[in-house]
Amino acid sequence: MLLAGKTALITGASRGIGRAIAHVFAKQGATLFLTARSEQLFEVKEELEAQGAKVFAQQCDITDEASVKDMIKACRKELKPLDILVNNAGIMKAGLVGMTSMGDVRDMLDVNVTSAINITQYAVRLMARAESASIIHITSIAGMQGIEGVSAYAASKLAIVGYMRASAKELAPRNIRVNSIAPGFIDTDMTRSMDDEWFQKRVESVRMGRIGKPEDIANCALFLASDLSNYVTGQIIGVDGGMIA
Amino acid sequence: MTNQEKLVQSFVESLGIKPEQVVDDLKYQSIEEWDSVGHMALVAELEANFDIMLDTDDIIDMSSVAIAKTILQKYEVSFA
Repeated sequence: MLLAGKTALITGASRGIGRAIAHVFAKQGATLFLTARSEQLFEVKEELEAQGAKVFAQQCDITDEASVKDMIKACRKELKPLDILVNNAGIMKAGLVGMTSMGDVRDMLDVNVTSAINITQYAVRLMARAESASIIHITSIAGMQGIEGVSAYAASKLAIVGYMRASAKELAPRNIRVNSIAPGFIDTDMTRSMDDEWFQKRVESVRMGRIGKPEDIANCALFLASDLSNYVTGQIIGVDGGMIA
Repeated sequence: MTNQEKLVQSFVESLGIKPEQVVDDLKYQSIEEWDSVGHMALVAELEANFDIMLDTDDIIDMSSVAIAKTILQKYEVSFA
């Protein structure tokens, strides 16, 4: 098992990509600490425990400092040390240029950027005693190539890439690797919430001819979390089936 | 173990220095071991030993052993 003896904190773990990552990591022997706003989180915990995994879970609003502190404190208590952080929680609000409310912009920056940075800052403290550690930021093809109709979302996703690249350099001497995955068009509640025309256009832009599955992202996260990638840091891996954004 | 002993132990274990080096006057970046990397290890050790989560501003401000004690008192850690 690729993650035997490892511990992982996964944000946004109640559904979609986060949930798939939790399943793949558990199958590979990791002890998990899962967090999300939704109570669905506990369903994921039960599913994984039924498969024999060791799982802790705590609801958390990652935009709320007190909630984050509580969650990190609980994580520190259960996982000693923390080996893997997956910053997966994110939101997408569509809006054309000139028609995107500043409230939506702030919400996306708050969840997709500020909260991810905040959790990373706490997590590196929990990684202090780890022999090596891995931080994975889930970004988006929208940030890397731009997709019309979600420009503010794209901005938020590219912002975290800048953070990833800089922190990878800073943390490399501590043997903490930092990388990003840029999913293409993945079948999640988030993408299913977009209008039909937009959805169909995106599917047609995938050269492999199918929408991606959350498991496609989870398998890449497994590579970045495991020792298979122990000389890989500061990188963005596109998992997009050859999507033309 | 007293809080003073926990404090000294935190510095010793995180920075790899001798207990007698942990005096109020010891300052951040005044010795090779207490560099930015050591500082994060120290923060982790203090948080684990005192079961607290430090605010980022406090981590930035923690520039000496004496100031570390002052900051810890904000988290209800008392020193005789």
